[in-house]
Order: sequence, then C-alpha cells, then structure tokens
Amino acid sequence: MLKILLPTIMLVPTIWAVPAKYLWSTTLSYSLIISLISLTWLKSSAESGWSFLNPYMATDPLSTPLLALTCWLLPLMILASQNHTAPEPISRQRTYITLLTSLQIFLIMAFSATEVIMFYIMFEATLIPTLVIITRWGNQTERLNAGTYFLFYTLAGSLPLLVALLLLQNNTGTLSLLTLQYTPSMQLSSFADKLWWAGCLLAFLVKMPLYGAHLWLPKAHVEAPIAGSMVLAAVLLKLGGYGMMRMMIMLEPLTKELSYPFIIFALWGVIMTGSICLRQTDLKSLIAYSSVSHMGLVAAGILIQTSWGFTGALILMIAHGLTSSALFCLANTNYERTHSRTMILARGLQMVLPLMTAWWFIASLANLALPPLPNLMGELMIITSLFHWSWWTIALTGGGTLITAGYSLYMFLMTQRGPLPAHIISLDPTHSREHLLMALHLLPLILLISKPELIWGWTA
Amino acid sequence: MNPYILAILLFGLGLGTTITFASSHWLLAWMGLEMNTLAIIPLMAQHHHPRAVEATTKYFLTQAAAAATLLFASITNAWLTGQWEIQQITHPLPTTMITLALALKIGLAPLHAWLPEVLQGLDLTTGLILSTWQKLAPFALILQIQPSNSTTLIILGLASTLIGGWGGLNQTQLRKILAYSSIAHLGWMILILQFSPSITLLTLLTYLIMTSSTFLVFKLNKATIINTLATSWAKAPALTALTPLILLSLGGLPPLTGFMPKWLILQELTKQGLAPTATLAALSALLSLYFYLRLSYTMTLTISPNSLLGTTPWRLPSTQLTYPLAISTAMTLCLLPLTPAISALLIP
Repeated sequence: MLKILLPTIMLVPTIWAVPAKYLWSTTLSYSLIISLISLTWLKSSAESGWSFLNPYMATDPLSTPLLALTCWLLPLMILASQNHTAPEPISRQRTYITLLTSLQIFLIMAFSATEVIMFYIMFEATLIPTLVIITRWGNQTERLNAGTYFLFYTLAGSLPLLVALLLLQNNTGTLSLLTLQYTPSMQLSSFADKLWWAGCLLAFLVKMPLYGAHLWLPKAHVEAPIAGSMVLAAVLLKLGGYGMMRMMIMLEPLTKELSYPFIIFALWGVIMTGSICLRQTDLKSLIAYSSVSHMGLVAAGILIQTSWGFTGALILMIAHGLTSSALFCLANTNYERTHSRTMILARGLQMVLPLMTAWWFIASLANLALPPLPNLMGELMIITSLFHWSWWTIALTGGGTLITAGYSLYMFLMTQRGPLPAHIISLDPTHSREHLLMALHLLPLILLISKPELIWGWTA
Repeated sequence: MNPYILAILLFGLGLGTTITFASSHWLLAWMGLEMNTLAIIPLMAQHHHPRAVEATTKYFLTQAAAAATLLFASITNAWLTGQWEIQQITHPLPTTMITLALALKIGLAPLHAWLPEVLQGLDLTTGLILSTWQKLAPFALILQIQPSNSTTLIILGLASTLIGGWGGLNQTQLRKILAYSSIAHLGWMILILQFSPSITLLTLLTYLIMTSSTFLVFKLNKATIINTLATSWAKAPALTALTPLILLSLGGLPPLTGFMPKWLILQELTKQGLAPTATLAALSALLSLYFYLRLSYTMTLTISPNSLLGTTPWRLPSTQLTYPLAISTAMTLCLLPLTPAISALLIP
C-alpha cells in the first residue's frame, strides 16, 4: 500500500524540484510508473476478503478496480493538461500538477480506507483541490458559480453523513469496515432511524449524482479545465458509488422500502438527462449530462442490493470512468483548437482530423454500450437485475438505452460527419500526445473485454 | 504610540487576564475583567478617528454592563449561598445571570450586536487582540462555572452559529466578516459546554490560532475591504496561494485543522442524543463557508485585471514580523492528524 502512496506523496516535491524543461515528462513518467505498480493490487490474495491489510488501509475486490482507475488517471490528466497550461508561468504549472497529485493522494486514501471516518475525511478532502482546479483554471466567468454549487451541494449532503456516521459509531462501537460486517444488525424501525438511513446515503446520492440533486454536475464538469473534468467524471463520481456500496451493509432492513423513491429518481433521471442530451448545443454539457444518465443506472443498481446489481454497478463505474474521461479529452481537443464548446462550430471534423474520428467513433460506441465492451456488461447486468426487481423498470431502462444510443450517435454525427464549415479548414493537426491520450483511455477499456474478472468485484 | 504607554497598556492586558485565570474569588475575577477592559480602551482609541472613538465607547459600555451584571450575580450568589467561590456556583439564578453576562462579554448571540461595529472601528492589530486575547478571560470563567440549563446554552449556541453565518453574508468589510465569523465559532464553543468543557477549550484554542492567522494575513496586505485582497497576489504570491486554505480551515473543511473541533463537537453531541442539534449546527457552518469562499475567490482564485504601478510589491521586504504568521498558518493547516494526541491531552 505504501509503495503506491509514498511515491505519490513524494511526487509533490519532485514537481517543485525538477527543472522546468523536464517538468511534464518527469511527472508523466513517474505517475505512469506508479500506475503500473498499482496494477499489482488487482491480484487480490483472498477471494472476498481484504488484501494488502494494515491498520488503516486495505484493498478488496470492490476498491481495487477504482484504485487502479484513480492511479491510471493521473498520467492521463498530466498528458491532457500539457498544452493548455503551456502559456502560464512555470510555478503555476507546478501548482496545477501539485493539485492533481494531491487529489490523487486523497483518492487513494479514500478508496483504501478501512475506517469509515477516514473515508469521510478523504472524501471531503478531495473537494478542496477540485474546487481550486475548477475555479482557478477554468476558462469562463461561470466557473465561480460552478465551484460554489459543487462545494455546497456536496457539503450539504455530507454534513448529515458525518452526524449519521457518528451515530453509527455510538451504536456499534466501531466504524472499521473490517468488523462492521460482523456486527449484529440493528433493529431499525423508528422515524429517527429512517432519517439516519437518509443521512447515510444522501451524501453519496448527491455525489453520484442522483437526478434531483444533480445540478452541480453540468456546471462543474463544463467549467472545469480538462484535467478537472477528467477526474470529476472518472473518479469523483465513483466515490459516491463506492461509498454507497460500503454503507449498504449497515442499512438493512430499511432499504427495502426506503429506497423506492431514490430508485425512481435514478431511473427517471436516466430518461430525463438523456433527453436533455439530445437537445444540447454545448459539447461538454452533453457529456456531463450523459454522465448523470449513466450514474443514474449505477445508483439504481446499487439501491436494489442484489449481487448482479452491485457487480453491474462496479463494472459500469469503471467503464463509464474511462469512457467519460475519453469523451472529455476528445471535447478538449476541439476546445483547444476552436476555443468554443458549441457543437455546430466544429462540425464535419472527419474531413480535417480523420484519425481523431476513429477515437471519436470508439468512444461514442463505448458510450452507447456497444457489446462486447464492459459498458454493455455493466448496463446489462443492472438492467437485468432491475427487471427482476420490478418488470416495469424495463420501460425506463430500455428507453434510457435507446436515448443513450440516440445522443451518442448525435454527438458523433454532429462533430464528425456532415459538411465542413469554411472557418475551420485550417485546424492544427492532431498531436501525437492527443493520440496517446486517447489510446491510453480506450485500450484498457477494450482489454477489459478479455478479462472482466478484474472489475467484477466480489462475484468472482 | 509612546512605547512606555504601549508597554503599560499591554502589561495591563496581560495582568488582567492572568488575574482572572488565577482567581478563585469572584471579586478578583471581576477585577481582572475590568482591568482588561480599561487597558484596551486607549489601544482602541489611539488613532483618534471618530469611528475608533465610537467603537471604543460602545465597547466600554457593553463590557462595563457585562461586568456589572457579573458583579451583581456574584453578590447575589454570596447572599444566597454565603460564599464567593467561582467553582461553587450552584444556584440557578446567579448561574444564568453569569452566563448571560459572560455571553455579552464575548459576543454570543443574541448579545452580539456590538461586536461587528466595534471590530470595524479598530485597526487590524487591536482587532486581533480583541478577537483573541479578550476572549480568554471570560472563557476561563465560563469553563469553571459549568452551567447546567441546557436550553439556554443550546439556544445561545445555535443562535450564534446561525446569526454568525447569516450576518456575515452581506458584508464587504473584512473586520465585520471576521466579527461574524467570531460569533459563529463562539456558538460552537457554547454548544458543547455543558457536555464537555474540554472540547470548548479545544475549540477556543483552534479558533484563536485560525483567527490570528487570518488577521495577520489581512495585516500583511493592509486589507480592510474585500477588494484590497484582490491585489495581494502581487504582494505575497505564496501567501495568496495559502490563504484560501486558511479560510477553508476557518470554515471547518477537512483535512484542515478547523475540522477537528467540529468533528469532536458533533461526536459529543451525538453521544448525548442531540443528533438534530448536531445536524443543524453542521449545516449552519455552510453559511459561514459561503463568505469565506467568497474571500478566497476574490483573493486567489481569480486575478484582478489591473496591474500595479511602480516596483512590484513583492520585491519590497515586508515590515511585519512574519514569524507569528508562519507558525499560526502551519498550525491552521496541519494539525488534524494530531487529533488523537490533542484530544488525549485536553479531554480527560
């Protein structure tokens, strides 16, 4: 565990000590080495128990895919930010990479925490670097509003979570995940217990986000610079999913009835946000709403508490993380050339940037859950388990799949096909860095087709 | 100010607080409090600005009223129970009077109205003394009297956190913002008083460190309004990068030090079965967070478009002692991992 955490922490002095000429290549190579070592976590020593155990941190098949995704994302973020930060003074570039690295440190500690309060503190700690990335390095004035929405929505959900966790500690005497699964189940029946149930889950539902509390996400994703969008979409949303999955053990037997409205919100959100995507003019906003849509499925999958539901949720989280991050990188390639997120301003790009079209194609296909990609695996498992829970959900999930296919194709056709406007015939050709970035996003996704056991979670 | 006079006044301030700390007799405690008030009056009025004089007058009147109430309460207690021991106050009438008198002394809602205007009239150094040193003596008394009427205390606490949050939202003057922040933090301290006075002490100490940090940052920038902070990036770039963290620590965000008192208070409140109170107090902290965030936005997260004429200010050495700022900033940011050690030290 420390062999990943300490190098990541030491990356911060490295950033400040390395000569300016080598800043980006050094940080990229070190973060790649760290992410390669993090892949060792995927081989867990015990099938369903905890591995790499020490008193404060451990990994288990639920957290290892998310940890690997987190560590994988840092080099990708560094790769993506190199161009747009180039005009800035070197100390600001160093600060930027320091923020990304500190986010990585907090995320590793959050996913590997064995004590729920440690998870909570790291969960909250990720807010500060993300806030600074969004508000300091975003490009439009709306970024301040976006940062405020992000901070306050998340905090309004997580402060009741803190109180709920402290109540749980009074009840069970411990908050260590290692032993919480063995505590006798609590007799939860009163109205106060129902409030406690809501307090435990609200923070994660806001973070995922659930449809009713999702307003922070389009703002934050759109206004953030590319590294901010990537980390938000790929990992920070998954913190919500991971938290929910960990907390579900303690929340029985109330969840059977109390989860109804949230499942409905989640599934309705799939349809609604998908429909919004069909009418979007802003490319990043489309990808952001598509994130809400996918995470709605994840939330529903977790809330029904079946093993297929959990597995599907985990697979979809990993697959969506890679896909969404890839789409944001693609949108950023457009943004860096035209400095606009409006889709109709950058149409017909297949004529100008044909190689990028290949990446757009694969990413769009991944977004609409084409078999045999893991996106489909996750969605199918969730849809099947939801169908088993209630036949009526097929209307919503099936419709959602249809709409997802619709807006993914809409995005692809709008940006790549069609006539090329006269004002963008002389765009910069695609940099090798951008090709590498897309390859590093989509190749793991494709490789996961052949070994989905890595991201299955407990049902091995 | 003449250094001898300044020395006498500061000595008087120190002596007053020390007398109150060391006293076990109510009259001596009252005497210490009055000495503090009298010693700080000339410091407040030293600039002879009308607003400073107004602030001084308001401070004197409120503090004198509080001290008189305190004296009256201790005399009542002496009449009712026949003794003057500070720790032997048990009769509810003098206890309530003393609680309210000390609440007026430190600026707890609903007895807070004097604090923003008084703090506004002072220069930043005297404001720092008012916000930090002047709270020590009343708290020494509050911690000893162990008030037991929980309704009063919880109302005082919640009202302070809410008023401190809402009151600061519309302010552009930094000293008033810090005054409302003070009221909010004092609310948290009083909330936990009846259950665990040690946590009150811990909250007070962390508040002192965080507020000193903030005041010293503002002093370095010579900033009294929000807009002045916008040019601090040219005067002290590294400090400008750190100040949002100081402000977010004041707001109580993990993983900064400011989270530690809030965490311990919420833990104790939930143990005592006051979970709804805990939730309400936690959510009221979001109000204060909004104006701390606004300060961070103006100072660091946006860059004002104007450039500064003349020598870039950061090249000129600052005349302010940076030692206290460095130490208090380090403590404001990095003490959370020491929570077990600190709580073992302070909480029996």
